[in-house]
Amino acid sequence: MTVSLPKAELPLIPPSNHPFADVIHRLESGGSMLPDTPENLMQIIGIYKAYAVPMDFYWRDLLYIAEQVFLEPLPFFKYFISQEYLDLPNHYAGDGADLRIWRGTGAAHPELLAFMKQGEVNRRWPKLLHHLWHDRINMEFAEACMRAMLWHRQMYAPVNKFDAYLDTEEYRENCDRAIRAYFKNNPAMLGLYKLFPDMFVEKVRELSYYSNLGLFWEVMAPVFFEMSDIYDEGGFEGVPDAMNFLVNGIFAVAGRPIYHHLYVDGECFEIIPKSKGFTWLYEAALPYVEAVFYRTAPFRGTKSYNAQAGQVPEVQANFHYGILYADVFPVGTAGIPPTLLMQDMVHFLPQYLKDYYQQHSRGKDDILIQLGITFQRSMYNVTSAVIHALRQALLHPLDDDNPKHLMANRQFFEMQMDRFIRPEARLRDIQSPDYR
Amino acid sequence: MAIRPTKIPNRSFTPTQAMPDIVDIAVTTDGFSTLVAAVQAADLVDVLKSPGPFTVFAPTDDAFAKLPPGTVQTLVQNPPQLARILKYHVVSGKYARADLAEMEELTSVEGSAIALDLSDNFEVKNATVVLPDVEADNGMIHVIDTVILMG
Repeated sequence: MTVSLPKAELPLIPPSNHPFADVIHRLESGGSMLPDTPENLMQIIGIYKAYAVPMDFYWRDLLYIAEQVFLEPLPFFKYFISQEYLDLPNHYAGDGADLRIWRGTGAAHPELLAFMKQGEVNRRWPKLLHHLWHDRINMEFAEACMRAMLWHRQMYAPVNKFDAYLDTEEYRENCDRAIRAYFKNNPAMLGLYKLFPDMFVEKVRELSYYSNLGLFWEVMAPVFFEMSDIYDEGGFEGVPDAMNFLVNGIFAVAGRPIYHHLYVDGECFEIIPKSKGFTWLYEAALPYVEAVFYRTAPFRGTKSYNAQAGQVPEVQANFHYGILYADVFPVGTAGIPPTLLMQDMVHFLPQYLKDYYQQHSRGKDDILIQLGITFQRSMYNVTSAVIHALRQALLHPLDDDNPKHLMANRQFFEMQMDRFIRPEARLRDIQSPDYR
Repeated sequence: MAIRPTKIPNRSFTPTQAMPDIVDIAVTTDGFSTLVAAVQAADLVDVLKSPGPFTVFAPTDDAFAKLPPGTVQTLVQNPPQLARILKYHVVSGKYARADLAEMEELTSVEGSAIALDLSDNFEVKNATVVLPDVEADNGMIHVIDTVILMG
């Protein structure tokens, strides 16, 4: 008797032997580093929405600081965004958008506006009182991300040309023109500029990164809002759908210009002109992911480090203190930036996520930790999207029939996963639903 | 100006014939309308008509169509950014397939390296050359099936 075996297609390349072989095989079949479960999907979409609301403030205020506050010697009111910048129409949402892929009106999100009026205390205090009570959007978090990008300069060089440009004579000349115009009525500051020109230029470099990050997040906010809307409408089947939506978004805006303009009395000074050809993908998104998701600075919450004792890597490229490695524990000391973000997100959680946290761990009492870990899961998904976007841009389709191409993809995935072998990485943890 | 209609010219031109330049060939050949539009939007026509010589890795319309929705639109809206991506497809110097056989990479006009692999097929980064060695007056065109990106 003959038995006909089912025709199993032999894989074109042997399985991976990598410690994260399971994750690599999942990536190779179009999945995310985050396991595809309804619970994970619910968590990450909910947190994207809660993240997008403060982000809608971050990008506006970052641009406000870069383009208007600029070198204000006493910038007490840099977080008091002007009405003009609060009303800036998003370039990638609303009827006047450059690219209409994501719905949304392009105006500041209603939940953000409501929160800015009443705050957590839910009272109509004067703005200054909300500010001093710290009942506001924590712009310090956005600035910490910006500073991470500035600290870790040269990321993704030489393809990232933004950073190298900051050291050119041309940039210096542009700065010079801008600084002179900005302080034209302030001889004291102009005198200081004459004495310490490098210090001023370095401050402008920082402001250029304000602009960079603002332009980056201007795109991410409508993307995350759209994902939340699609999920509410039942439009995502699973985690890979959510990831692929991000991959397509990355490509759609990859060519968006990254620039830095300054406005003095309505006149525009191009510190980094759009004509330099800097792009959202190469000059903002990729350096952002590297600086903020992977590296940042050696503050992990409860633990502090002794650099003299070699507890901090000598090479900045080996820093591993980003969200993908973070010990998510919000204490208001060493881990201030993540604490601030959690505090920002807790105000805008969708009801389903509030209910979910109520059912787990210590309910409302440790909601910041729970949502921080959800955020970590969601950023593993964003990182998966970035990895897939890079694979799509630089390598080969997942269903390629050339084994050599599949092997090149494999090596790329393995190289990416190598970064999560170190014990601090949370890739292992997020494989389990019990990590919360 | 002598523009040969539609057909990609072969390399057997005699010196007396006016050979079309890179732009002429792209304009008169089917399947490159996106590339031609992009080159015009990025204001690179004059550069690619200049004496050069250049080697151009020319993506077909199908190659551009493989990019996710919105990608080309955003680039066309922003000529300097588009120009940068296009310059990544251009190398200064005239290289035929045979010249590239032993080479591992070229430096693009954009400044970033383009990896080459001619061991099996003629592969340029993650693109495969579907038609090599289209000779132009001011350079060489290799037609590729994927838009290549820096990195």
